[in-house]
Amino acid sequence: MSISSSARKPKGAAATGAGEGAVAPPITLSERSSTGLALLRILVGYLWFQQLFWKLPPTFAGLYGYVVRESQHAILPGYGALLQHTFLAGCSSLSSPVDCTAFVPLAACVWTAELLVAISLLFGLFTRFGAILATILALQLYVGLAYSPGEWIWTYGMLVLLALFLVAVPAGRRLGVDYWLAPRLQSAGQRHRWARIASWFV
Amino acid sequence: MQTLRRGFLAGVLASLVLAMFDFVTVGAPGNGFPAVLRWFGITIADSTISHWAGLLLLIVLGGLVGLIFGALQRGKPITPGRALLTGLALGILWWLLFELVLTNIMNHASSPFSLSFGRFLSSFPLDVLFGVLLGAISIQWQGHHGSHQPS
Repeated sequence: MSISSSARKPKGAAATGAGEGAVAPPITLSERSSTGLALLRILVGYLWFQQLFWKLPPTFAGLYGYVVRESQHAILPGYGALLQHTFLAGCSSLSSPVDCTAFVPLAACVWTAELLVAISLLFGLFTRFGAILATILALQLYVGLAYSPGEWIWTYGMLVLLALFLVAVPAGRRLGVDYWLAPRLQSAGQRHRWARIASWFV
Repeated sequence: MQTLRRGFLAGVLASLVLAMFDFVTVGAPGNGFPAVLRWFGITIADSTISHWAGLLLLIVLGGLVGLIFGALQRGKPITPGRALLTGLALGILWWLLFELVLTNIMNHASSPFSLSFGRFLSSFPLDVLFGVLLGAISIQWQGHHGSHQPS
């Protein structure tokens, strides 16, 4: 598995004068390393999968306390107010989503996004898409919870870094559906724009 | 013979991945292994033996499903798409047989097909994953990865 495109000339190479110096060879991963990366991907997927169960539909009640904490301890100015006017609009209690007008539909979106991340990473299906989604979700957790009392700042920082790592490497192409999908999308991408776009995510 | 051996080993490895999940689970590690014994109505009073016996049975079952996977190839090379589909089908079969029917029968449920959303969610994706891994490991060993896959 190549983690840098060896088929195309690296952009930096154009700026290097001919004969001025050797361009670093593309980094290639051995089968063992690729399989190791795939196992890491599966475990990160399982991490997200496990988090579905303490905020199950139809109430998503487990999520409520965390959204309240995020609204109180967010590090980004205005983020707390944004949560107050969306997730927590109309809510009359700090402990349960009583009278909330939009909590359930918005929590359903969060839960569905986390389910998509779990499926994508566990099965290696459009892995980079799943990893991008995981990065966004983890960033949101970092902004809201990293500095809340009782939390270790790096908990969510590491979650962001893990997700970013899986965006950077094609971890679904071993032990995953992307193994089958990637060559087909790349071949179809020469004729169809949608396939070219989809191939960015495997 | 080669396809049978490859299928068996792929099944064992795929079941080891399932077993690995039990070491990063909520509560004590290996909590899920005694449930594997209960599929066959086996209960062992000693917790340690129960955990190890459950793990062993899980690996044996993985190997057996892998053997079925290998037998379905009839000694011929398998394409990646067919391997993943066959694995997927075997994963669903695993879920239907063990997690649904046998679990319900052993728990004396009202119907062998009774199922809650939480139980479906906690078992179905992981059993399907077992099947997909079985297919994926098998094709990787078969050597289809020789084709160029730029990132």
